[in-house]
Amino acid sequence: MWGIFLESVVIFKNYVGYHQYRFLFVFYLFFLVYLWLTEKERRIRAALIYAPTLLLICFFCPLFRKAFVALLNDAETYYRLLWLLQMSIVIAYGMVKLCGRYRKTGLVIMCVGIIACGSFVYRSEHITKAENWYHLPEEAIEVAELIDPEQGRVMALVPADLVYYIRQYSTRINMPYGREMLIARWDYYHDLYEAMEEAEVIQTASFVEIVRSHECDYVILRKDRETEEPLSDYGFALYAQTKNYLIYQDMERGKIVDAV
Amino acid sequence: MIQGISFVFWLIAVPFCIGLTPAHFLSEKRRNPGVALLAGYLLMWAVFEVIAVPAIVWIQYDNFAFVLRWFMVASILLAILGIVVFYLDGRAKNDHFEKPLLFYLQPPKPGLDVKIEWGLFIALVGFQLYMAVTRASFDGDDAYYVVESLMAQQSGAMYRNLPYTGRSAVLDTRHALAAFPMWIAFVAVKADLHATIVSHVIMPLVLIPLSYLVYYEIGKTLFSSAKEKTPVFMIVMGMLQMFGNVSIYTNETFFLTRTWQGKSVVGSFVIPMLFLLLLWIFEEEKSERERESGAWIMLVCLHLSAGMCSSISVFLLVLLLAIMAFCFMMTEWDIMVPIKLGLTCIPSAAYVLLYLILIR
Repeated sequence: MWGIFLESVVIFKNYVGYHQYRFLFVFYLFFLVYLWLTEKERRIRAALIYAPTLLLICFFCPLFRKAFVALLNDAETYYRLLWLLQMSIVIAYGMVKLCGRYRKTGLVIMCVGIIACGSFVYRSEHITKAENWYHLPEEAIEVAELIDPEQGRVMALVPADLVYYIRQYSTRINMPYGREMLIARWDYYHDLYEAMEEAEVIQTASFVEIVRSHECDYVILRKDRETEEPLSDYGFALYAQTKNYLIYQDMERGKIVDAV
Repeated sequence: MIQGISFVFWLIAVPFCIGLTPAHFLSEKRRNPGVALLAGYLLMWAVFEVIAVPAIVWIQYDNFAFVLRWFMVASILLAILGIVVFYLDGRAKNDHFEKPLLFYLQPPKPGLDVKIEWGLFIALVGFQLYMAVTRASFDGDDAYYVVESLMAQQSGAMYRNLPYTGRSAVLDTRHALAAFPMWIAFVAVKADLHATIVSHVIMPLVLIPLSYLVYYEIGKTLFSSAKEKTPVFMIVMGMLQMFGNVSIYTNETFFLTRTWQGKSVVGSFVIPMLFLLLLWIFEEEKSERERESGAWIMLVCLHLSAGMCSSISVFLLVLLLAIMAFCFMMTEWDIMVPIKLGLTCIPSAAYVLLYLILIR
């Protein structure tokens, strides 16, 4: 039980950014206590004080965590319980209440506090300047446009850095594996992924064999990806290229389809 | 141009008109265009979930075409109903129909400082919308949710293929019951715009203001006796959303970086909405409570909207409601509180039951 409790503490710390020295949660705890002491209105006490406090108790309770995980069969989403606290609403309400008539001064102090203790979302490493209306990398769109069929579907093997994007542009492009291979903790195995991404140098002969067993029409490689022998020696033709990628088409595949 | 009109029609006009009906059942002090829009979204999403889930589960081929057709019919009918209710409401209470009572827009006369504070808040939201359009936010889950929307748009199939690869698959029950990506696909088809653009650009322009509308109504309710404090509350809320990225897990981070995903809508719209509705329902002035039947209707719709956003949110919503019910029972000294609130959970119970049947 103690171990489960400590796990919940770790989840809480990760959620509030404790290890990154983010202390907005201190504001939350402060205003929660403040409201405990000062709030008179019953409905506000029930919604913004009692319920969040009970939720916090539940969150750290090992039995509750065990029940949650057993019921949902999912331990990864336990942190979402903390969404129910609606920390922002409690902080904003507590702050305005505390400032009383001095709301302008309070607002300035609060904004400074939020900036100092929080983290500006647009500085996140996941946010970049949009290159187009799709909000996808321009080169991913370029590659997808080159292989996107007018009718039917094609199968394309793409490098890991394109896996997320190609099918966000066109679902007529199928892939032998997708994002599931890129999440290490999901622990999937795919022979083609091993041959394409894990090998230091692509072993062309065996690679081509696996590619054909998965009926790929196109193979897209980064220009700096090393291959033991050129793919063109195995019935692939360089179909197109972009700044960073080479797009090969399997010429044998057309023959197989014709023969069928 | 036509795309713009289509977006205004399906994302503002239709939900607004739909919301006129539940808004009619709210007390007059609650009614305003913003509340009608919020109520409209709740009812619209509830109807979408009711139409989409059976189609996803029981129709094998071309199931998206079914949803497109019947959701369009249902929303137009509900919008017409809303307009009729609005018209009759106006006529019943005002013979000349000069001031429909839905919009008791009592224009406040704020001082200059309050105006400046509102200006600051609007600038904050404007900045967030500008960033939502001009900045791309990478999230791996888009390879699932956005592609689901796009598959529905491009191939007319819902949840019958693996989004990661495109291969055929058995129904993924956990995701299939949360039809939010299909609603995005519906909007994309109606506007004839690529679903990825609709997800990444159009949805934030709608969902961010919609969440702030909920926060605004919460602020108004919390500061009902000191309205001049509402803009300060909203500025702090806006700042907390922008600086709440203390980890990748917070609902503030989801709100501004994964706005178009159902789970983000849960954290920033569905859960705050529950706070708002309970604050309305348990109005301090007991004589006012009888006039809040619209809030109960919205609460029932909220359960279905939660299910539409994400399957886990049904559990979260019911858990929060149970805890709230206990707290309100204690503050109100009324044993009926959990019973009444429990009855609103029937849609969530049906959702869970269907889920359990499907995974067996």
